[in-house]
Amino acid sequence: MINDSDMELVDLAIGGDERSFETLIEKHYLSVYQLSFKWCRVKEDAEEITQEVFIKLGRKLNTFNRKSSFRTWLYRIVINTAKDYTRKNSISRLYESVFAEEQSNEKNDDPPTDPIDAQQVYDAIDTLPDKQKAALMLVMTEGLNHKEAATILHCSETTVSWRIHQARKALKNIFNVWCDNGK
Amino acid sequence: MENEELKKILNRLQIPEPGDVAKDKAIKSALAEFRLQAEKNKNRFKGFEWLDRLISKKPKGGFFMNRTIAITTAGIAVSVIAFAIVYSPIMVSQRARKVAPDKNLEAAYSAKSVESGTEIQKNQEQPRITEKKPAVANTGIDLPADQIKSPALTEEAVLKAIDTGKMEQTPSSEELQVILNEQARLQLAKGKAYDSAKQVSPSSAKVGSPVTVQSEVPKKGMMTTEKVQEKPALNEFTLKELRDTSQNAAENRQKVPMAMNNISGKDIDATGNNSEEFTLYEIAVTPVPKAGVISRNEGGRAMINPEYVGRDKFEDIKTNAVKLVSEEPVSTFSIDVDTASYAFVRRALNNGYLPQADSVRIEELLNYFDYDYPLPKDQSAPFKPIVAVFPTPWNPDTKLLHIGIKGYDIVPEKKPRANLVFLVDVSGSMESDDKLPLLKNSLRMFVDTLKADDTVAIVAYSGSAATVLERTKGADKAKILSAIDQLHAGGSTAGGEGIRTAYSLAEAGMDTKGVNRVILATDGDFNVGITDAEALKDFVERKRKSGIYLSVLGFGQGNYNDALMQKLAQNGNGNAAYIDNLNEARKVLVDEAASTLFTIAKDVKIQVEFNPSMVSEYRLIGYETRLLNREDFKNDNVDAGDIGSGHSVTAIYEITPKGSKGQLIDDLRYDSKKNSESVKTKGDSSEYAFLKIRYKLPEETSSREITTSIDRGTEYKKISDAPADSRFAAAVAAFGQLLRGDSHINQFTYDDVLNLAHGSIKDDSFGYQTEFLNLVRLAKTASPMGDR
Repeated sequence: MINDSDMELVDLAIGGDERSFETLIEKHYLSVYQLSFKWCRVKEDAEEITQEVFIKLGRKLNTFNRKSSFRTWLYRIVINTAKDYTRKNSISRLYESVFAEEQSNEKNDDPPTDPIDAQQVYDAIDTLPDKQKAALMLVMTEGLNHKEAATILHCSETTVSWRIHQARKALKNIFNVWCDNGK
Repeated sequence: MENEELKKILNRLQIPEPGDVAKDKAIKSALAEFRLQAEKNKNRFKGFEWLDRLISKKPKGGFFMNRTIAITTAGIAVSVIAFAIVYSPIMVSQRARKVAPDKNLEAAYSAKSVESGTEIQKNQEQPRITEKKPAVANTGIDLPADQIKSPALTEEAVLKAIDTGKMEQTPSSEELQVILNEQARLQLAKGKAYDSAKQVSPSSAKVGSPVTVQSEVPKKGMMTTEKVQEKPALNEFTLKELRDTSQNAAENRQKVPMAMNNISGKDIDATGNNSEEFTLYEIAVTPVPKAGVISRNEGGRAMINPEYVGRDKFEDIKTNAVKLVSEEPVSTFSIDVDTASYAFVRRALNNGYLPQADSVRIEELLNYFDYDYPLPKDQSAPFKPIVAVFPTPWNPDTKLLHIGIKGYDIVPEKKPRANLVFLVDVSGSMESDDKLPLLKNSLRMFVDTLKADDTVAIVAYSGSAATVLERTKGADKAKILSAIDQLHAGGSTAGGEGIRTAYSLAEAGMDTKGVNRVILATDGDFNVGITDAEALKDFVERKRKSGIYLSVLGFGQGNYNDALMQKLAQNGNGNAAYIDNLNEARKVLVDEAASTLFTIAKDVKIQVEFNPSMVSEYRLIGYETRLLNREDFKNDNVDAGDIGSGHSVTAIYEITPKGSKGQLIDDLRYDSKKNSESVKTKGDSSEYAFLKIRYKLPEETSSREITTSIDRGTEYKKISDAPADSRFAAAVAAFGQLLRGDSHINQFTYDDVLNLAHGSIKDDSFGYQTEFLNLVRLAKTASPMGDR
């Protein structure tokens, strides 16, 4: 995650060096996958999002303008891809219903058993608008500060703060318990 | 507090490890895309990229460490490009073509640039010309004068023209100005410390009048602005000399490895009848790069074309060994009508590199072509074999035995009803132009050929499988077409699940008298669902028994799992085709739709028994993956390939006649049979071999047999006497062996293949044979570089 060597790899890759590009993928695969997983919480979907992220990376790498760090830039791709993916998926799920019996239960088996309801919190986050969800995830799970998140989400820092505030408010409504704990 | 609490809870989420297969696929797809992008970029006007790279802050690699040289070279590039545009390029390319001797590697190299360049341009592929020699690349190739009508005189149009290598004749001075200004602008825009301006004196930029193209860098004025021509180490070439240069590029490069000579143009011009005077800078400053190696040269710091590292998967093929007739007189194999390998080879060659040896399956190369074998009269005997024996083009001591079969051609009216399910991979990796969009166009063409009562369904599979089109009558074309339009890439690859859905649809529409087939179109692996190749294979095989066959259409490269596709198709009684362009799609889906879809005989096996008193050794060329045991021939439970309507199958043996000095294996000293003359020959002693073909009619379970003897009556003494089909097949076989680096081919060269094939082309209405010639030429020029 050190940006210096990222930049070097990016430079080489833009110059056409496949190995550098591959190294770049290897290096970021896990973090991209993890963020994708947090977004959709289905292993296969996360893998697919991750794949799409890197395909996009291959396509767009030479448009990387170095204004931000590579990681920031990559995060933006992940968030956009994940958003697109879940949107598309919600459409394809219509088709799936036709073939419900074929579908079996692959989709819903996966969520791992989780002692203290992280799953529930994520489910709740899923109900938020994408923008809030993205801001919240970047800051809360990826540990970015508001400024970084703002760069990724193409908005101002105050907007990020506002979205997180909104998101938390919404979550509070869902989990009244927190209010008690928090205050 | 609350934030921390929330963070803690969120981080408690258990994240399963990502799957290795998925990761591998992601990397492969990304790399494929990366490569495609690199290719596209290379296809764009090379000058920009070049300049860009040279003037960038950190010149990568050893050649251009010196900034001055870098700037100079950039100037040179511009000058040469300008020259290329001013002077009609035809002459250069013609001259260069005339020369192109293949005596040494260098000349072949320069010939490649010229020959292959034009071919490749057509396909919008990147010729494998390294940027170190734009003199050749940009003059001869980028500007064939005959390609475009008249581009409007806008900056964009001119740039675009250069981009695509289409430029009408000589551009005017304004055009030049625009181009050069654009380059200058580009550099300025980069905001680099140095700015350079390239100018052409507009009045002088006419053909036939003296033109001076100058390359300048910012220091002191020389002719136009306050900038001086970057000094000493430059070549000044006259036009004449440049022509010489393109001819003798090789020599020049060797002579002038790292230095640049300064040659004054005027003295030499005395003899030239052209009065143009150029100040040109040849870029032959670096030793000839061995393409493909460069990318590794500087510890992975590539600056030239990245080498194509094949991540496509092919099954290892071990070339058939020479067999001794006295030990193994019988050769048995299953027929194969696949053609995927040919398209794959074509794609590689069009991209300027040799295909992986294992991707070359000679039988598929042979069977790609439509031979003029005699047609059987009716369906009861679905095919008729022809045989020919003639001298081996690549070995004076052996002969070739050519076996050809053509399947009964169903007349369109009689075509059985088709119940087809297209299973289309729409995962994210299918997005690139040569995959899903190509497939959609192919399908649209195919829809046109459907009969009214055929039924079609489309299942798209990605993260999950979805039926995009329920079974629809062929009459309802609009509905089918709109379903095709809706296909778009995105999602993962639950191929296994897709296959189940597709088969269940096919079963629902099962027509016992018709053709029931699932057609799988994909770019590679299945990574979700049934991922185990064996399980998938078994599934397909089980379904085959229920009467539903599987065909596979492969798309794209970089991630293509040829081995799996072949296995699936073979087990599903289908065929696998690799589709690299719309023409191939037309060939497979439209022209050959009948043969791809309508099986006229199944489990077709060929057995050849050689006569030991005539033949001492034999070798089957190709069919390595299709060999059968001798006893399998009669065993009707052993699966073998199918022949579709109109399919032709070609097999070639190289045989060593008894007593020929071409024998590779010595006779046994203690061979008991040798002295006792105990070799019993049932047949005529003039017979080379006896051919048996065993097959089942589509609806039958027991086999029939066709036999014919191969005797001296089928022999041609000279190659030139042999039928054109035989000669062409021999050329294709030779080509395949050359590509595979086969040792049996002796000293035979690509040129010999060309000669052999050239003389045997007849009635090539679809242009497939002519295309073959082009491929041989491409292979010839790609081979000195040896990359795969």
